[in-house]
Amino acid sequence: MPDVILAILRIIFLGLVYLFVWQVARAIGSHLGISVRRRRREGRKILFVRSESQKGIEVEITDVTVLGRSDEADLVIDDPYASDFHMRLVAQENAMMLHDLGSTNGTYVNGRRVTAPTELRRGDNIQVGKTVMEVR
Amino acid sequence: MTRNTEAALIIAASFLAAFGVTLVNFARGGSVDVQTSLTFLVFLITFGGLQVAVRTWAPRATPLLLAPIVALTAIGFLEVYRLDVVRAGLQRWWLLIGAGLAALVLALLSKPGTSVLRRYRNLILVISIALLLLPNLSSDWAFPLKGLEVNGSRLWVVLELGFTQMQFQPAELAKLGLVTFVAAYLADHQRALREAHRQVGPLRFPEPRQLIPLLAAWGVSVVILVWQRDLGASLLLFAGFVLLLYAATGATGYLAAGGLLALLGGVASSLMFDHVQRRVVAWIAPFENYQDEGFQIAQGLFALGSGSLAGAGPGLGRPDLIPNASTDFIFAAVGEELGFAGSVAVIALFALVVSVGLGIAFRSRDTFRKLLAAGLTFIFGIQVFLIIGGILRILPLTGITLPFMSYGGSALVGNLVLIALLLRISHEEAS
Repeated sequence: MPDVILAILRIIFLGLVYLFVWQVARAIGSHLGISVRRRRREGRKILFVRSESQKGIEVEITDVTVLGRSDEADLVIDDPYASDFHMRLVAQENAMMLHDLGSTNGTYVNGRRVTAPTELRRGDNIQVGKTVMEVR
Repeated sequence: MTRNTEAALIIAASFLAAFGVTLVNFARGGSVDVQTSLTFLVFLITFGGLQVAVRTWAPRATPLLLAPIVALTAIGFLEVYRLDVVRAGLQRWWLLIGAGLAALVLALLSKPGTSVLRRYRNLILVISIALLLLPNLSSDWAFPLKGLEVNGSRLWVVLELGFTQMQFQPAELAKLGLVTFVAAYLADHQRALREAHRQVGPLRFPEPRQLIPLLAAWGVSVVILVWQRDLGASLLLFAGFVLLLYAATGATGYLAAGGLLALLGGVASSLMFDHVQRRVVAWIAPFENYQDEGFQIAQGLFALGSGSLAGAGPGLGRPDLIPNASTDFIFAAVGEELGFAGSVAVIALFALVVSVGLGIAFRSRDTFRKLLAAGLTFIFGIQVFLIIGGILRILPLTGITLPFMSYGGSALVGNLVLIALLLRISHEEAS
């Protein structure tokens, strides 16, 4: 075996080792949520996952936002079971606080009815009537 | 990452192992031969089989743990093969046995769950201590189970089965048992340990009464050190216990007190015991004692130095000049033949394993599972730190094997079982 080919092969071997390490590290990083870009604005957006007319819409909550069926709400929820002023979302760093504004049919976070102000994290589910939103 | 990505990475790492073996063959003037295909097959069966076991008995377990471990095993195996072809053949058998045992652990725990380990913690403690003491059995009685002294340490047990004999280091499994016991004990007593403390300056100190378990652990470590002359296991168990106490209570005083005790024990034992003193001398002045105590460390440093950035290439260096290269000094062999680049990759892979292990602990809600995951990860990480630190001359050399890379059946089996336990915990926490 000529030395040149051997030298090239062992560099390829090291390259493959590093490719492997990189793949594994990236997978673990994304699993643990370690990503420089994503970290800054995590948990401050809501995505309509299930809705009659708003499915796929993503809204970023920057300050204090009132959600409800009324046109005067900051963000309209198009759902017959939503109250006019249904809930309030307050943006925090990498999270949001959800306050139910005494809605008739209630707000559910991860399937549980909200009775007190609740902190929302990335991945949580909010349900109002038949509308489901996900925190992102 | 999904299970299928994990499977792809397992295949990729098996290929890496076979590629490395082939490179060694090339360096010796050979070519692709039966060793290449055997290595590929054994890696595939071992870790593919382990993944099938995970899919069957712990389907929700994290898919992040196996991939870095296959890569570490592959790099280690390449160096073992390069140093000793016969040992590499044996290592392949141990891989298969270890994977079988790990799968067995997953299967046995699939019904009762890890909580069964908490319930039987005292039984586990008794078994572990018995395992630790096994090598102290007489070496020349008629009973088929005998103790054995190797290189001045009493760590081995020989089981004679008439036609053949099996050698085993029971301490490798006893370590897991001891960690399990301590995790269960601390989970049961966590509240008492956490609440009874005093504030002394920046340090939180536990009540004197609460220090008793710490002192007991210190005592066990000293006994191992004196009776079995095993510096590595002694340090490992003590450090693991102190870290676990800290993890359970958050009392920084344990770290300070533990460090002080370790320092005290270290200084005292280096003055009192010959075998510890030799290690310290070799650590501080390897080149001045090149002819005797310092020879191994000095050879290891030469190997690392001559490896330079990209290494000599698999099969092209002389790691065979280091005494015990395939067990204690496998990292120096990697440093020589794969260079700084290869060594950094190895350390990165170990760091990834530890980060996944601690991630499992952080995500656990159950106290026992949290502490067990943390404890297992701690002893894994401490082992890596102790032996790599010893080779790099940051710490005195302790005869600990590098997990998944060194040649050694007992260690391989023990570490595969450790990984199986971590996988099981992550499965239970995800359910």
